[in-house]
Formats: sequence, C-alpha cells, structure tokens
Amino acid sequence: MGGIPTAASDFSPIASALVPTHDVLVIGAGLAGQRAALAAAEQGVSVGIISKVHPVRSHSNAAQGGINAALNPGDSWESHAYDTIKGSDYLGDQDAIEIMTREAPEEILHLEHLGVTFHRNAEGKLGTRAFGGASAARTYYVADITGQAIMHVLYEQLMKYSEQVARYEEWFSTALAIDENGECCGVVTRNVADGSMELFKAKAVILATGGNGQVWKPTTNALICTGDGIAMAYRVGAKLMDMEMIQYHPTTLAGKGFLITEGARGEGAHLLNAKGERFMETYAPNKMELASRDVVSRAEQTEINEGRGFPDGTVALDITVVPKKRVHEALREIVLVGRDFAGVDITREPIHIKPGNHYTMGGVKTDVDGRTDIPGLYSAGETACVSVHGGNRLGANSLLDTLIFGRRSGVDAASRAKRIEGSTPSKKVLEDEDAMIAEINSRAKGSGRRVSEIKLELGTTMDAKVAVFRDEAGIQEALEIVRRLKEETKTAYIDDHGSVFNQDLLGAIELGYMLDNAECTCIAALERKESRGAQYRTDFPERNDEEWLKHIDLEQTDDGPEISYSEVTITGWKPEARTY
Amino acid sequence: MSDGQIKVAYWPGCVSRGFTPELHGSMAIVADKLGIELVTLDRANCCGAGVIAEHNQELADTLNARTFALAQQTGLSMMNICSTCQGAQSECQQRLDADSAYRAHVNEALSGQGLSYEKGKDGFTNKNFLWLLVEDYGLDRLKAQVVRPLTGLKVGPFYGCYIVRPKERLGYGEHPDRDIYLEQVITALGGEVVEYDGARKCCGFPVITMNRETSLKQAGTHVGDAIDAGADCLVTPCPLCHLNLDMQQPEAAKVVNRDLGLAVLHLPQLVGLALGAEPKELGMSKHIASTGWVEERLAGVPA
Amino acid sequence: MADYTIKVRRFQPESGEGPYWEQFKVELEPSLSVLDALLQTKDREDGSLAVRCSCRAAICGSCGMKINGQSGLGCKTQIGEAQELAEKKMGAVGGSAERAVVVIEPMGNMPVIKDLVTDMESTHWAKIRRVTPWLLPHGAPPEREYIVEPESMLDITQPMACIQCGACVSSCLSMEADPGFIGPAALAKAYRFVGDPRDAETKERLHDLAEDPHGIYDCTHCFACVDACPKDVAPMDQIMRLRRRAGEEGIEDPNSGHDHEIAFVKIIEKKGTLDESLLLQESFAPGIKGKLKPSKRAIKEMLGSIPTAIRGIKTGKMRSLPKLIPGIHHKLPDGAQDDVKAIYKHAEEHNEEFNLYIKGEEDVEPEPDEPTDAILGDEAAAAAESESA
Repeated sequence: MGGIPTAASDFSPIASALVPTHDVLVIGAGLAGQRAALAAAEQGVSVGIISKVHPVRSHSNAAQGGINAALNPGDSWESHAYDTIKGSDYLGDQDAIEIMTREAPEEILHLEHLGVTFHRNAEGKLGTRAFGGASAARTYYVADITGQAIMHVLYEQLMKYSEQVARYEEWFSTALAIDENGECCGVVTRNVADGSMELFKAKAVILATGGNGQVWKPTTNALICTGDGIAMAYRVGAKLMDMEMIQYHPTTLAGKGFLITEGARGEGAHLLNAKGERFMETYAPNKMELASRDVVSRAEQTEINEGRGFPDGTVALDITVVPKKRVHEALREIVLVGRDFAGVDITREPIHIKPGNHYTMGGVKTDVDGRTDIPGLYSAGETACVSVHGGNRLGANSLLDTLIFGRRSGVDAASRAKRIEGSTPSKKVLEDEDAMIAEINSRAKGSGRRVSEIKLELGTTMDAKVAVFRDEAGIQEALEIVRRLKEETKTAYIDDHGSVFNQDLLGAIELGYMLDNAECTCIAALERKESRGAQYRTDFPERNDEEWLKHIDLEQTDDGPEISYSEVTITGWKPEARTY
Repeated sequence: MSDGQIKVAYWPGCVSRGFTPELHGSMAIVADKLGIELVTLDRANCCGAGVIAEHNQELADTLNARTFALAQQTGLSMMNICSTCQGAQSECQQRLDADSAYRAHVNEALSGQGLSYEKGKDGFTNKNFLWLLVEDYGLDRLKAQVVRPLTGLKVGPFYGCYIVRPKERLGYGEHPDRDIYLEQVITALGGEVVEYDGARKCCGFPVITMNRETSLKQAGTHVGDAIDAGADCLVTPCPLCHLNLDMQQPEAAKVVNRDLGLAVLHLPQLVGLALGAEPKELGMSKHIASTGWVEERLAGVPA
Repeated sequence: MADYTIKVRRFQPESGEGPYWEQFKVELEPSLSVLDALLQTKDREDGSLAVRCSCRAAICGSCGMKINGQSGLGCKTQIGEAQELAEKKMGAVGGSAERAVVVIEPMGNMPVIKDLVTDMESTHWAKIRRVTPWLLPHGAPPEREYIVEPESMLDITQPMACIQCGACVSSCLSMEADPGFIGPAALAKAYRFVGDPRDAETKERLHDLAEDPHGIYDCTHCFACVDACPKDVAPMDQIMRLRRRAGEEGIEDPNSGHDHEIAFVKIIEKKGTLDESLLLQESFAPGIKGKLKPSKRAIKEMLGSIPTAIRGIKTGKMRSLPKLIPGIHHKLPDGAQDDVKAIYKHAEEHNEEFNLYIKGEEDVEPEPDEPTDAILGDEAAAAAESESA
C-alpha cells in the first residue's frame, strides 16, 4: 500500500476482525499533531498519526513570522504572559498562559537542538525580531518560513522514529468512537488512496486538525482548514468554547486572502491609507503598526469604511522603508508572494492589503493537558481552546500554543494509555459512517445544489456578516442562512462515486464540518453582547467585564448548540483598559 | 535588429577547436557571409564548463572574469558558439555582477596581467551566436541572405541545457523567446521545424565519463524521438551536445537498442547551407552520423 | 475575466480505461492560477477531477504538476501566463495561436494514481528517507542553543525552504534516464545536513552520497530542477556544493566523478583550454601528476571509448591518432598560460564561495535620469524650504 507505513506489529486481532490499534492516536499532522505524536512516543507507548493530507502539507506551514519565547536575558515569562493576557482582552485563562509562557524557552531550545535553522545574531546565538502586541523583541524565526521550517524538522523526527510512530498519510477521519462509559476509544477513517474505511482502536485520541478558516471566504487558511476536529468533537458531545472569537489578520491580499506576515511590520513596515497617512497614529499612538491584531484590523477597516482606503477596498503596507538587505534576508517569502500573487515588487512599492480571516481562537474546550470533557479525547493547537488566546491571539503565539499543548497532550494521553485497559469500539460507528457515505453517493445528479455552491454561499455570508465589525441583525441573518444551508446540504450531490482519491466525497463531508463550525460561531457571536478582542459588536461597542468576563461554552443538542458559561481563570493580572 | 556592421569579441571555446573543428571552421565561413567581424580572443581560457566551479567557485569566476576582461579590452561585446560556455560564463558573470566587493576581490588576481572586469553601466554582454543572430543581426535580415532555402528539410532543434536554463540567469526576463530562437532560425532559413520531446532536454554529455549508460540513453532517446517525429537532422548551438548526439551516436544506438543514424548539424553549418556554402567546406564530412541525407535533400535546391 | 481552455491529462483508475485527454472551458482573471482553473472545473463541471491542493499560496507543496510541459506548482502559475506560453510554443512550431490551450499533466518520473495525483511515496519520499534526513548531532545538546556562524544558518535555510512538492523530481532529466538517481530533492535535503554545523556525521554523509553510483555524480547538470523549483532552492547548486565538499574530503567515487573534476581542473591549469582526449584518459586513469593507476573500471571505460575514437579518426574529426594521446594540444600564446596559472594560485589560496542566496544582489544606485520618489521627495522638500525662506 503506497504511502502508508502501517505498523504491522500494532495490528492485534480483536473479535473477528483486524482492528488497527494504537495506544495513542493523533488526528492531524501539523505542528500540534506531530509534536503530540513525538511526545507520546517518547513515553514508550505505541502511537499512530493520521492525517488527511501528507503531514508536510499541513497548514502550520503558513505561519511565517516566528515563535515567541522570553528567552533573552532581561526578558521574562511574566512580561510575555502579560502581553498575551492583554492581547487576549483578558479572556485568556491566566493559568494556561503562565504554563505556555514559562515553558516556551525550553521548547525553543528543544527545537533548536532537533535542527531548526533559527536565525542567529552576530554572535551566533538565537536572534529575535519584534512582533505585534509584545513589549520586547522575543520572536524567534527562520526567515519568514518559521512554521514550515519547524514542521519539516518535526517531520524529520517522525521519519527518524518511524518504528515508534506509525504514519497514516492521506487518511481522512469521519467520526470518533465513544464506548458505553462515554470514553473515547477510537476513530473511523477513510484511506483516501483506496476508499477503504477503517475503525481504529485507541486508548486516547488527540484531535489536532487545525482551525476552520475555510468557513470564511476569503481566508488566509488553506483549503484543508475545514474545522474537522472541532466538529467531530462537538458531534460526540465535547464542549466548544469561545467560538465567536475569529481573528482577522491585518495584512492579507485583497481577493485571494494570502497572508503577508506580521514580521513585515515587525521589521518596520508602515501602514498607509490612500492619502498616504500613517493612520495607526490615530488608533495606537504608542505601538503604531505593532498593536494587537484586532486593534490594527479594526483601524484598517475603519479607514476603508470611512473612505480613506483605496478603491479596491484596501489600505497599503509599505515595506520599502525596510532596508533591502534585511528584506532579502528576513522577508524572502513575502517578496515571492508579492511578485507571484500580486505582481508587486514589495521592495519598490507599497502593496495593497486588508483584514482577512485568519485564525480560530475558540475551539474544543480543554484543560492545560489537552483533556476535553470526554475522557480519552484530547485536543491541541488551533482545534483546541485552552484558552491561551482569549479574544485575540498575539502574533507568533500560535506556533508556541501548538508545540506546548501538543506536547502536553501527548504526554498526558500516553500516561492515560499506560493506566487504562482500553475498550474496543463498537462496529456500529463504522457501519454508521459507511451508511453516511452510501447515502451521499446515492443522491442523484441535480437532486439538489452542488456542494461547491453551498460552500461559496457560506464563505461569503460569514465574511460579510461575522467579520471585523458585527451586529445582531447581521449575525442573525448569517445564522439563518447557515441553517438553510445545513438543510440544503442533506440533498447536495457529488459527481464522483469512486473509491480512489474521491475528493468530491471528502468535500461533502467537510462541508458538514464547516456548517457545524459556522453555526456555533454565529450562536456565540449573538450571545456575547459586548465588544472584546476579535468580537466587535457595533451595537455593543464597549467591553463589559461585569457581565461578559466569561467564556461561552457550547454543547450539541438536537435543537442546536446549547449555551453555558465558564469562568475566566485570573491568577494575577486584573482586567484593565486596553490601549496600545 | 540593425542593419549596421556587427563586430564582436569572439570566444570560440575549446571543443570547437578540439573534437569539433568543423564548428570553428563553419562559424568563420558564416560570419564572413553575414558580414559579422570576429575578433578572436585567442588568449582567453576555458569557461570551466561548470566543472571548475564545482571544484572551486572562485577559480571559475576568476578564469571567466579574465576572459570577460580580455573582451572588454577590445571595446566590443562578446560572442560565443557554445551553449555550455554561455551557461558557465553567465553563471560566473551573475556572481561577479552581484557584488562590487567580490568583483574587486576577483580582479585582484587579474591585476598582475593588467586586466580588470568591470560591470559597467549597461552591463557586460556575452551572447551565443544564436542569440546574436536573432537579436542583433535580425531574422528578416537573415532571411534576405538566404540563397538556398532549406525547403522541405525537416530540422529538429536541440538547444543544450546551458542556453535554456536557468531562465532567470540567462536573460529570459528581457528576451523571453530565447527558447524558441532555433525554431525561428530554422523557419527563417526556409526549413521545417520538427517538434519532438528532446529539444530542450539534456544530451547526457556531462555524465559521459561518470555514468555512460545514463548519458548514452539520453542521447539515444532524443535522437530516436527526433527520427520518429520525421526529422532529417538535428541542429544544435552546443558542441558538447554534438559530441554526445553525433560522435557517440553509434554507441547510443546500442544502449537504446535501435537503429539511429540522424545527422546532427552545428548551428553555423545549418545557416551556412542556407547561405550557399557547400557541405564539405562546412566540415560536414567530419561528422560520425552521415549528413548524406541532408545533402541529398538540398541537392535539388540550387545554391 | 477571460476565457481559457485547459487540456488535462486524465486517468481514472477504476474505469478500466487508460489515460486520456479532456478539455474544459474556464472563465477567470488572467492573474488567477492554473490551480484556480482546475478548482473552477472541479466546482462547476466535474468533481471527479483529482488534484492535490491545499494552501493556494505556494507553501504547502501539494499541487506539483506539469503545465505546458514545465514542472511547477499549479497555484503559482498564472493562467494568463500559461496561455501566453502555450501560444508561443504553438507559434514556434508553426501552429496558430487560436489552437493553443493550456496543457496540464501529472508530474513526471512518478506513477500516476488518478488524474493529477501521483504516487510521491515510492519515488520522492523513499529517496528523501534514503539520505538519513534528520540531524545527527554529536553527543548531548548544549544547555542553551548551539553557537554557530550566522551565515551557516542562512545558507541551509535555502534547502530548508524546500516544500517537498516534487517539481524538481518531476523535471529531473537524469532521473528520466536513470530512475535510480537519488535526485534533486533528496540531495538538496542532504545538503541541508551536510551544511549544518550542528551535524556530526558530515564526512559519513559525504561518503555515502559520493560512493552511491546513483548519488551526487549521477546528476547531468541540466538545471531543470533549478527552473522547476518554486522556492529558489536551486537543488542542482546544492548537488554541486556536495560535490565540492566531497572533493575537499578527497572521496573517491565509483563514477570517477572526482577524478573527472580534478583532471579537468588540472588540464586547464596546464593548458588553458580543454583537451578532451586528455580529459577522457585522466578521468579514468589519473596520472597527470603522478603515476598512471588505471582501475578496472577505467580500463573498461577506456576500451569502451575506442570505437568512438576510431570512428572519429576515420572521418577526420580527430586529426590523427596522436590526438588521442595526451600532450599534443595547442597552447595559449605568449605567456597567457602563466596568467592562467597565476589565477589558479590566487583562487586556490582563497577558494571563496560567493553565495548569492545569502548576499543577494547589491543595491544598484538609481540612474540619474531615472528620478525616484525619494529624489522627487527631496526636491519637493527643497522647493518647500526655498518657498518658506
């Protein structure tokens, strides 16, 4: 079987069928998933990592700018934690943020020792760059391919430890298996190469499938970011948290949504409106372009809405003020993006940008060891909501989140696997998934809408109504459209009915995931009647700590998501007014 | 394109005076017929063919800086007749032109000979005969010189890697059609272009001593593909390709296990035929693969 | 918006049929990509059209394919430019531009699974794993980071920029003739470790790569990978650097690659221009500086080249048998050879590698007749000043 180094020794006969079994099963092979798999394997348990694309295709690649850690003498984890908390608009849980920022330096050094080619200063030591919302230059980086460089190095390690970690590359997961005690005991997965459906058994499952950016159009996110793990967890009863918190990145290319790294502003690039004014002076006179992302995105959108943008609905990012040598060394990828996708030589002229969908702060509610409400089910990275990002994630904290909580999930999942016997998943879950696929295949051409049409309507709706500025009427309208699309999806048809590389079928399943994500975001955005972080309600423009300094949790019911609340953990930093 | 007299500093390369002397000879005849004045750089040295750079990059850069400096002494642009020279020299020139400090360092080694390579305001120009023919001489002007149109002659172009890749280094930004110049020249001479798979592929020569099987398989495959596409001959601006495609053709035939036997002409030979030169004076009898068929096809066309 | 026709090489493995071509009409902005054209086709016309893709921004490496015969990424190739290229190619062989369509095929040198989806595992990834693609440091890591030359990290960031898309493998002309060749992607990956000062197995790696007959000396130096690479990794440059490093270690290889290189370098030092017959002999049986020590392979290869040589003499291509005997070759005139030797002395002493990837092109001073914004700005400022004065 091409591409799949199946761990033959791990296949143990259970009942009458052969069920592939691992102690720990990781779904998703971006940074969080790969880090979790390696950490679990280090504990001596058998590990499988399943990914719907080849691991190096994962979207962690796209993280350009770097990874934060208070590693420099003179910097401190407290400072990093404070910046993160302030960035989160005080919605981040401070115990989790403390863990992340304290463990960050060790993680950076670990990566360096594994072979990540981090930028060096003149002394040959790790060098840093400035990033948004940070009170010190503490972002470590590899040119502007930091995510790619780290992920490829982790994949090197997965190749190195192929005995310990079985890789299922291009296997698409459709449902989690829960035993009669309500514990997660496996997953149903389709081998993309031949269409076979497999029920995997595991003592712990870690969801690390990334975010849900494809729910919006345009987005900086890859086509694979369809909220799979969030939806799979939600469907088996795990709680989701802070789903209204969707980050719009300040510098994305109009139309295509491609990302221009915050590193560009970190290196000194300016934001200009059509009149050539450096407008951040008005909005964040101290941090200017390096204020928190939600602040900068709102500033840009305000300029555009009030007629000071360019006719194409953009403002300009001026990188020409960064020395050319430095651009060559540190912003190489952005030169290519400008040249290949916008036809602009960024070393010679400003490039038009606008805020664009970028990151899912919310997700599957977990504790600091990646544990969800369901025993045996873990989540890490963008899929999860620990929450370290609260209402707004700081640049260069996402890579850190994936690695710290990926590792912690892997370690905790391994210790659970050592502790418990584990149960065998019922074959019913596999039969249900077979039936689900058969039903999709049975829909006749023309019986409903095309899957692609529904996706397009969903994306444009969400970008119009649930974006930088929101209000009740708009969100309500989006919710109604999402619910109609959910109905329409039941009859949406596909063209491909084959087994081998049937991407059409997978697209239909992904659409279901996306709609669950969208519905939850709308519900939570309607519920939060205040403005905090990425959630800016024009009908409730102020932050309201009295009523809304709390997380919104959602749980699936037959009538849609049920709302509950949980406290924000505050250890030392009391909420203050947020200025940059 | 210009109607003016063209005079260039001429670097014939090594192979055109070694294993393929017919190339050097036919270039002289063609230059004469076209009225291109060649000032031969007889003190210049081997371009290194990429091999010296593989050993010591600075050595390759300095050797070529010396050749460029000799050309600059004549006050003329430089012309070569070998794709490999073009590629290897362009690679060195790119590094030399990129950085004044590095240029100064390399020029240190030349100062004892009273030489210095200067980037200059408009840059230093070094063109293969093919490029010069199309860009400076001009296809219309060439067409006007044709006395024996290659009517009915089916010609397969074979460029040689070094003149088509990498595009960024070889001036394709400014001259995007450099990879179809052979087709344009064949057409201008009245011939018919044969489309086949190998036109821009590797002849295999660089590994002839290192991996003979692979090398000859490449040569044999391309010659075979051209024959299958109906070619009467191939034409190449690279004498190293000529070595593998022509001199090694009988050996290549054994490796690909089929009959070959396809004439491979140097670019100046093809041009020379159309300008009325005789096959013998163009050195075509020195080829391994018989050029008899080409001569027969053209016999009916009076010179 | 413009209309384009794409012609896709399709293969539906479950149909029982072989590969076939299918044309689709698409409508999109010329600045959108070939991948966008394929996705539009998938969305609107035929959802069974298989193509791997994810990021759409040339970072995930999924959509390697051949477009008009050129290997690259579908997302990084603009449809308008692809159409222009198709028209140019059509024109070159005498066809009319209206008939030109954008031709899209799966990557080369790999088995096809379905439509544009290839089996990268057996061709690409197996070879990546062949080069021991992980860091092998010496002993326990330091307490903090490894202290290394800043430039060394920049240097290996070039091969690190590889996104494993396979475009170079698809384009590789050596691999086309010798499927066993380790290939451009894996060798670039190998340089990423050879060039990494933290790796302790540099010598072992170089021996491994040089001594494999399908290793670094199996590259034909055709630059196809350099042009195909969407991330400026320049795999061939990395292979040449591996050869340079292996040469510095004095590693003997079964392909006589190192002997060939040394022979070439010595001949030019001695003669200034290349004496091919001497090169052939010296590549197999080095003796220019010492005794002749022909290996078995050298003798075999030398014998193998005799038929070629005899044919050459018969046709007059090689003037006489002595042409095959080293030592008879024209020399450079009037002391020019001494000039060449002086260059050798200088360059062998320094042996500087000028790395364009690290240094970049020097900032060129703007031409005075080409006013820039900055200059205009200064003038405006000066004008304003004089006004206020």
